Amino acid sequence: MRVIIIGSGVAGVSFAEKFRSHSKDDEITLITKENDGYYSRPLLSRGFSKNDIEQSIILKPFDKLRASGINVISGAEITSIDRGDKSVAITGPSQEKSIHYDKLVVATGSSAFIPPPFMPYNALFFCLNSLVDLKALRKFRQGLLNQNRRPEWAIIGGGLIGCEVASDLAVSGDNVTLFHAMDRLMERQLVAEDSALLLEVLKNSGVNVLLNQNVHGFAKQENKVCVKTDMTTEFDALIVSCGFKPRTELAGLAGLEVGRGIKVNQFMQTSDESIYALGDVAELPNGKLYAFILPIRSQAHWLAGFLAGQEQQSWTPPVFTTKAKVHGFEAVHPYNL
Amino acid sequence: MSDYKKYVCGVCGHIYNEAEGDEESGIAPGTRWEDVPADWHCPECGVGKDEYSLLD
Ligand SMILES: Cc1cc2nc3c(=O)[nH]c(=O)nc-3n(C[C@H](O)[C@H](O)[C@H](O)COP(=O)(O)OP(=O)(O)OC[C@H]3O[C@@H](n4cnc5c(N)ncnc54)[C@H](O)[C@@H]3O)c2cc1C
Repeated sequence: MRVIIIGSGVAGVSFAEKFRSHSKDDEITLITKENDGYYSRPLLSRGFSKNDIEQSIILKPFDKLRASGINVISGAEITSIDRGDKSVAITGPSQEKSIHYDKLVVATGSSAFIPPPFMPYNALFFCLNSLVDLKALRKFRQGLLNQNRRPEWAIIGGGLIGCEVASDLAVSGDNVTLFHAMDRLMERQLVAEDSALLLEVLKNSGVNVLLNQNVHGFAKQENKVCVKTDMTTEFDALIVSCGFKPRTELAGLAGLEVGRGIKVNQFMQTSDESIYALGDVAELPNGKLYAFILPIRSQAHWLAGFLAGQEQQSWTPPVFTTKAKVHGFEAVHPYNL
Repeated sequence: MSDYKKYVCGVCGHIYNEAEGDEESGIAPGTRWEDVPADWHCPECGVGKDEYSLLD
């Protein structure tokens, strides 16, 4: 049997490795847009305080996966799924333009969610969703440091990632202003008391936190960019961190059932019985997306066992917690996940 | 001989079990947490030892 996996995040890679360990004969091909190897997305939010991050973030080079019998096609993109003849169309370095599958695992993950009012300005801001994003940010930042300038950042969005990035830039010595729409930080994950504690920690590390902000647009002014609320404030650069958006386009175009994510049953199976979805892109019957490392690895390992015939029961979410990687912050109460 | 302890990664939930070590990075079974090198990192999410806490 030939199994094709789309995506080399924790979902795709954990599945490929586990399935390889169960099955010696099946052909496993993993196709990914990435070029740099399998890297840790959580470490992106430590991307400024760690100097060697561009190397140390790589958990596994693709050659290591290849050496273990996984056929990795990197720097390539799947552009469509043909469910009729069970094939995917591929662009990039590969000779083949279309590859047949017996089973397809969609692990395309998520991109940064950009609120529609910000879309027209997408040339004016950065996001922090991938290693490519981080490298662009670091290059920009280094340019300012080389001119002996202390970078002035605006972070738009005080959720998990916004708070983490604000913290990491501040401890790295930069000037940071965090704009948040709500009256408290990380209101979705934290109880009010912990939001207040987080606010204190960020302020103490020098972050200028602005709550109840209605950011309605951005503008360019010479070599500065402006954030528009009731007032207009200038910065060197902006990072929009307003949540994530599952990459469901391929599945949607192929006619699979799609909600916020690609809809799967308790067996991680989409509305097509040969196609499965895992990770940030998978929406379970309870309407939930399990967008954290621990449950995603659990899904991936479970599916590998299931396809290898070693698992009969459906996937059940493990108990897990998370933690905002804000320097110096420990929540008192459990997170709401 | 005291019992082996377990440490949990606060970021992704990976568990370092002293009894098992971490084969992939060459940490032998039975290696105490104190003896795991300072530059060792979580095999699943890449964060450092300082993100781990004792699991009780
Ligand atoms: C800054 C940041 C910090 C985080 N911190 C934490 C944390 O502390 N703890 C935690 O548990 N979680 C954290 N998360 C969430 C966690 O990283 C994600 O839930 C997880 O990485 C999702 O993995 P995935 O494999 O589903 O998707 P992704 O990691 O998004 O991988 C998807 C892959 O698919 C590829 N791809 C997409 N479309 C195509 C296509 N058409 N053709 C080819 N390739 C394609 C992409 O290039 C990518 O390699 C964080 C996320 C971010 C962004």
